[in-house]
Amino acid sequence: MSKYKVSIRYSTSLLEIAISKNLLEVISADVDFILNVFRSSSELVSVMKSPVIKGQLKISIIDEIFKDKTNFETLNFLRFVVKKRRENYLVNILEKYLDLRDEHLCIANVDVKTAYEFDEEQSKALQSNLEKKLNKQVRLNYSIDKTILGGFIARIGDTMYDASIKHQLKLLQKKFTEGGVTLN
Amino acid sequence: MAEVRPDEISAILRKQLSGFESEADIYDVGTVLQVGDGIARVYGLSQVMMSELVEFPNDVFGMVLNLDEDSVGCVLFGESRLIKEGDIVKRTKRVASMPVGEEMLGRVITPLGVPLDGKGAISTDKYLPIERKALGVIQRAPVKEPLQTGIAAIDSMIPIGRGQRELIIGDRQTGKTAVAIDAIINQKYTHTEEAKKLGIEPVYCIYVAIGQKGSTVAQVVAKLEENEAMDYTTVISATATEPAPLQFIAPYSGATLGEYFRDNGKHALVVYDDLSKQAVAYRELSLLLRRPPGREAYPGDVFYLHSRLLERASKLSDDLGGGSLTALPIIETQQGDVSAYIPTNVISITDGQIYLESSLFNAGVRPAINVGISVSRVGGNAQIKAMKKVAGSLKLDLAQYKALEAFAKFGSDLDVYTQKTLAKGARLVELLKQGQYVPVPIEKQVVAIYLGTNGYLDNIDIADVKRYEKEILEFIEMKYNQVFESIKKEKQLSDKVLEMIKKAADEFVAVFK
Repeated sequence: MSKYKVSIRYSTSLLEIAISKNLLEVISADVDFILNVFRSSSELVSVMKSPVIKGQLKISIIDEIFKDKTNFETLNFLRFVVKKRRENYLVNILEKYLDLRDEHLCIANVDVKTAYEFDEEQSKALQSNLEKKLNKQVRLNYSIDKTILGGFIARIGDTMYDASIKHQLKLLQKKFTEGGVTLN
Repeated sequence: MAEVRPDEISAILRKQLSGFESEADIYDVGTVLQVGDGIARVYGLSQVMMSELVEFPNDVFGMVLNLDEDSVGCVLFGESRLIKEGDIVKRTKRVASMPVGEEMLGRVITPLGVPLDGKGAISTDKYLPIERKALGVIQRAPVKEPLQTGIAAIDSMIPIGRGQRELIIGDRQTGKTAVAIDAIINQKYTHTEEAKKLGIEPVYCIYVAIGQKGSTVAQVVAKLEENEAMDYTTVISATATEPAPLQFIAPYSGATLGEYFRDNGKHALVVYDDLSKQAVAYRELSLLLRRPPGREAYPGDVFYLHSRLLERASKLSDDLGGGSLTALPIIETQQGDVSAYIPTNVISITDGQIYLESSLFNAGVRPAINVGISVSRVGGNAQIKAMKKVAGSLKLDLAQYKALEAFAKFGSDLDVYTQKTLAKGARLVELLKQGQYVPVPIEKQVVAIYLGTNGYLDNIDIADVKRYEKEILEFIEMKYNQVFESIKKEKQLSDKVLEMIKKAADEFVAVFK
């Protein structure tokens, strides 16, 4: 619970810095890069989470890895987080930052599950339809799930747009077996 | 031989399925973080409402009881082992509700309205939320019509009115359920043509079984069926095997169904059997949801749990149709301890209580009602005049008898007056004894009590009192039937009727052996 509060507070401040200094794109690219580094190295994550390793040492590790590869503001933010001893929330903070940035730019992240890979035309149609519906820019992340049999399932935040054959069949089954009172 | 062509079949299938939508279905979801002991914590469901129904996989439903900063606490109405971490939870966009309507009468259902009696689906399209706000002051009217239980001791001294909340309280095995079931069975009369002519409106009954044994519920249903009481009764059953959340909402669904009748200008009687078990189920839920425990480990809002339920019992004003919802909550005490947490709470909420005592029960006084400490705070206004007239001295006589009872063992050493009081009291106690499932109509109660309080029993052996009552009532019914007719119609004891009763009693003494 506190994890959520802490990370949202730090990520909001990073976003505010980025906006006020007009560095939104640069910092976002940095955050993507840093997250990738953390994801590729579990050792780095465990070093950050370790309570035994001193903060000063962690700062110098961060310096060494990211110094020439990221913007000064980003690096400064990382140092600040470590200095405030919130480094074990670092990944959460950065992930939250990306969410907040998308919200700020009115971009919706949509996870699309399809049974077979969509061709260019289909994905364009889906994108434009979703953009029209949501009134927002849409970024589609595709994944393939054969169990849905056909159609697609789009998930935006907590809302699902379910047009899969599997779901249709389930509804049909429900309709056949339904006898008067059901809960749905 | 007739033939059916395959393309005909497919045409029919297509027609039957034509109403089926095939557009994208839009719904909100969350992910199960943690599940156990009938509770699930869900991440997501960002738009979910308090006490909304949510759907888990495998047809398990849940209800939202906690909205935390980053998770949602749900109670499960099904088995928790069917749900895994990471499962998708769907919103239904409906607060927990149940189907209502006349179709529910004669059925045994779960608190969510799903039939349990194997009599097929219930076709009703009206849904009402299970948790509803009780009515305000303006919509209500004072309790004024009687609700006859058919039990002489209650109808005479602890009268219940339509719209009242009367607690039935006592230890285990003192006949609490029996009193409630008798009250339900006695409502059969209100559904007859005769009652309609006399202006008595029918009472629909709802029996809510909370945390009881399945066999007990089956027994109750069988008894109600045997007495033809199921025609106007719904049984809502959340037995001990059901998860705690279902036991917790069962009384609220009973109240919802009762309110449906009330709001349509009809009269309903709801029996909550029993609320101590509901409080225990709610305690279980609250502790699992990590709400802080208070006295006896009950959560802080356990008073509100019962007060908001019982506030829903009410008598509507005439502008709103004049319907009523009477509540008979039942509380089981431990070793007669009425000062425990839940009993004191419910006593303070209700409009009176009927105390049942195991010592009386074991002494053969059944129903084992302790009339000294049982009260009805509003029912007096609802009593018919005839009963009010005869019951006044009954209560006094019994109180005097109780006060002198301790001296009874001195026997003939007592003065004549005391002996007389004791003899009369003993006969009145005998008179008020009554078998199970044999409710007595109000006019017969009036006559019997009149005879008892006016000394007509004093020369009858105590062992013969019940037989005397039965035979004289039969005698009056045969020879002086106007007595009963007149009490029923005019609802009071005119001098003419009194004359007739006296005459009948004098005549009967000669033939009674």
